[in-house]
Amino acid sequence: MKYFILLLFFFIGSALFAQTDSTQKVEEEEDYSAYENVTSSDGQNKSFCNPKIFDLSPARFISIAWDHQLPYDIKLSKPGFYPKDSSNVVPYETANVNSTSGIRLFANIPVISSNKFLWQLGLNYWNMKYVFSENTTPTPNAGLIQQLQNDGLTTMGLHSTVYKPLNDKQFILMQVSADLSGNYTFSNIQDLKYTKYSASILWGKRPNDRKQWAVGLTRTYRVGQLNFLPIVLYNWTAPNRKWGTEILFPARVHVRKNFNARSLVMAGYELEGQSYRIGGVTLPVDKELELRRGELRLRLEYQRQLMGFIWGTIQAGYRFNYSYNADYTEKDGSDFFRGFVGTQEYAMINKLGGAPYFNIGIHLVSP
Amino acid sequence: MKTTAKLLSILFLFMLIFSFTLEDEGDRLVGVWEPSNGRARVKVEKIGNKYYGKIVWLKEPTDPVTQKPKVDKNNPDASMQNVPIKGYRLLKDFVYSGKNEWTEGTIYDPENGSTYSCIITIKDKNTLDIRGYIGVKALGRTDVWKRLEIKK
Repeated sequence: MKYFILLLFFFIGSALFAQTDSTQKVEEEEDYSAYENVTSSDGQNKSFCNPKIFDLSPARFISIAWDHQLPYDIKLSKPGFYPKDSSNVVPYETANVNSTSGIRLFANIPVISSNKFLWQLGLNYWNMKYVFSENTTPTPNAGLIQQLQNDGLTTMGLHSTVYKPLNDKQFILMQVSADLSGNYTFSNIQDLKYTKYSASILWGKRPNDRKQWAVGLTRTYRVGQLNFLPIVLYNWTAPNRKWGTEILFPARVHVRKNFNARSLVMAGYELEGQSYRIGGVTLPVDKELELRRGELRLRLEYQRQLMGFIWGTIQAGYRFNYSYNADYTEKDGSDFFRGFVGTQEYAMINKLGGAPYFNIGIHLVSP
Repeated sequence: MKTTAKLLSILFLFMLIFSFTLEDEGDRLVGVWEPSNGRARVKVEKIGNKYYGKIVWLKEPTDPVTQKPKVDKNNPDASMQNVPIKGYRLLKDFVYSGKNEWTEGTIYDPENGSTYSCIITIKDKNTLDIRGYIGVKALGRTDVWKRLEIKK
């Protein structure tokens, strides 16, 4: 019994001693110069460049936004065969669009996230609903306006991003996306054979904490039709840390003004678009119709922290039409490359007026 | 009665040894560490039964705009915005939970004034994985910190 009592005293005593130590710990004056001369304990000091630089707009884990275009007019040709340089095509369907709007969901989750390797997987969902003015009369045969009015346009996709630092200055950035775009709905999802694949690869340098640049190549549907383009990334923050750029040319170019760590504004443009497989339109050939939507969005965007890791954005600008033409593609879902010099005929030559637009979003941002 | 006392003594002895062992294992976190970006050095120390890490060295100690020592200007708490970054406790309240992990703590990023939940894992005696995250571990980012020795 006496051993037990002795041990009990010892145990309680040591616990009390530890408690006293913790509460009476006094912050000592630190000699910080002692930490200037150091050496790595294991002799290895290999460092890797970070994917971020100072003051970039925050990367997003989850994002939900509403995009709304104000009224514009639309003129569509009859499906046929039109040379690339057709300029005076007689409109077959014309309409005034009261609004084009829809939800944009985006999630990007890190699968592997370390300083040596970053791999993120994501998904996105966009829809665009077209509201036409009341005096719009769809053509007797199933036309494009009828299809846009019925179901609008939808894109669902998966994407994967890999950032691989090679050392403390150089990195490789790769991105692959698979998107299913068309006038489908959840109850009538499009066949996966119409999936469009995009990919980019860049090699770059991050010379310091305020600058990163990279050059590379991309296979993209960003302006509607399939394209292979050189790309340039240039993210930079001024020494005063109030200004900067966020550029992935030609996809988007922005100048950034940082008010503080929790709010900023960006001004610039983004090229936006996709190739949509459109079902339900009467065609003169036994093929599929691909609507090549590409647009230039000149814009101003204000971003700010709402609370904790939740940020809000409001964006306003003007949407210029770059392409709303259509092509015939094969029934097996295969596509073709026209680029800027190809001479393949179009299935439709369409014109869209420009429109002011706005976009509001809420985002969960990453560390 | 004697048997019960002996059993209780042995039990206490085990608890005591276990608590000291856990404490020693936890102290592997104590030391000076460098994040992968090399912009700072962090001294981890034990206060009570928790671990804290403060910035003891900065690669760029001076604010390029004010030409004065950097302060925590991005802190959402305005009363903290004049506190010097050097000496700032960015790791707080870590408890050793066994299995080479320190949990229940937070990490502060002076670059944006945000505080994240954090788990520290020791990979070997000179390497730490520091994972800051939001809500769930999956929504986070891991950085590798290396132990430093102070030259005498």
